[in-house]
Amino acid sequence: MKHRAAYFAFDRFPSAKGSAVHIAQMADELFDVFGGGLLGVLGGGDLPRYQREGTREIARFGERIPNLLDRVEAFSAWVAAHLAPHRETLEICHVRDPWGALPAVAAPGRGYRVVYEVNGLPSIEMGHTWPLASPRTLGKIRELELFCLERSDAIVVPSEVIGGNLRGLGVPAEKIHLVPNGAEVGPTPPRPPDAPDRYIVYVGALQPWQGLDVLLRAFVRLQDLPGLRLVICSSLPERRARTVRRLAERLGVAERIDWRFELPHADVAAWLAHAAVSVAPLTGCARNLDQGCAPLKVVESMAAGVPVVASDLPAVRELMTDGEHGRLVPADRPAELARAVRILLEYPEAAAALGARGRRRIEDDLTWARSRAALADLYRATACRADRPAIGGDTHVLA
Amino acid sequence: MTPCTVTTGFFVLGRCGRPSVADCPRCRRRVCAEHADPQSGTCPECAAAQGYGSDDPHDPTWIVRYRRRHYEQAHASYQGGWTTYDDYDRGAFNPGDDWSYGSGDFGAGDDGGFVDS
Repeated sequence: MKHRAAYFAFDRFPSAKGSAVHIAQMADELFDVFGGGLLGVLGGGDLPRYQREGTREIARFGERIPNLLDRVEAFSAWVAAHLAPHRETLEICHVRDPWGALPAVAAPGRGYRVVYEVNGLPSIEMGHTWPLASPRTLGKIRELELFCLERSDAIVVPSEVIGGNLRGLGVPAEKIHLVPNGAEVGPTPPRPPDAPDRYIVYVGALQPWQGLDVLLRAFVRLQDLPGLRLVICSSLPERRARTVRRLAERLGVAERIDWRFELPHADVAAWLAHAAVSVAPLTGCARNLDQGCAPLKVVESMAAGVPVVASDLPAVRELMTDGEHGRLVPADRPAELARAVRILLEYPEAAAALGARGRRRIEDDLTWARSRAALADLYRATACRADRPAIGGDTHVLA
Repeated sequence: MTPCTVTTGFFVLGRCGRPSVADCPRCRRRVCAEHADPQSGTCPECAAAQGYGSDDPHDPTWIVRYRRRHYEQAHASYQGGWTTYDDYDRGAFNPGDDWSYGSGDFGAGDDGGFVDS
């Protein structure tokens, strides 16, 4: 099977993480435009190494290489091997990280275009997740990122903040295209049968930059509210929640927290839709501020019509306006977070109005259909081989 | 009747479940008429694996072979820092027992992804 399009991501797919939703939408659009394609992702567990679905192939890298640098280098080699059979037919290769990008941009005499989707930069993010990584090592990773960014034909970012960061690194503005994260707005799903009467909800992963510690400290300040529970829908498995659970026990709120792990996306939507408030307590760290982010939990909460209380960060301000679609509070301030949640709980009509306006904001501006249309335009405008004319179309260049 | 066990779906995965009609000649899995390759009779997973030259990806030399080939190709155009990670660089990325360092196994949640949406 020869493909005209390929998408590579150093991410397990499918999975319960927000990144998997993102990959599903982006790759689905790519394969729609090019009549099929190859999706190269991480596997493991009980996922098959290869799948064929009509004109689509999914290949999964499942090598059990303990050291992360060894693993990403092996992934690069694996991407190169999976690109090689399609060298003659490939028009677009969409990548999501520098180790997927490297073999795509460095292939000698490539006739395809490379679209590099930058949701973040490992040279920044790995400094948070791997605290023993030295500045020198992160500098080498930065050098690799710049090498790949420079040689990519188009760069897709989900937020203006990330686009601004890339411009600051010297990436030409005309190469950067904004394709925001989206959500589906549909009928309200049924209430989860085990949902408490009144709860606030957190949806997402548990890394330090997510601000779970801030949320737990805020929740301590809401202990006087009878029956109020915190539901944490973790996209990571239970064993990864040890640190957060230990903190909850130390703070004396563990008994009032309901944990749900790795729920299917549809189930998460139900938990969101019936919450009193959805919380996105992102911290004011370099990962969220300098690099930028595009928190899908905020977009999906707004789509569910639930009022959002989120940290007041530039990347979040792109998605919602304080007092109109939800409440923005200073990052890393549990007292402020607790106060905003308490007010929404005490004024449910005002909270419902925020939720309704948030939902309208998604319907009007931030649906996946809209983002996918922008992406399709970009693919058509970018794709061309020496032996084929380019396909016309509009693109959305970041100012 | 033995159902076909081929994995189907894109974002939500399932099993085919149709009545199987043959054994895949490579992995011996039972496959239905829809999923058996018309020429070779192999299941889709084995057919795709053959297309990428990975007849036996559990062979320890497989990844070494591809890695070497990739290095040889990429070196021609990029001599930057990515190939110069030393023991000191790598040492910071060994798995530990703390969640933030990676748990060192390869279960469903240990995907190693860098950025989350």
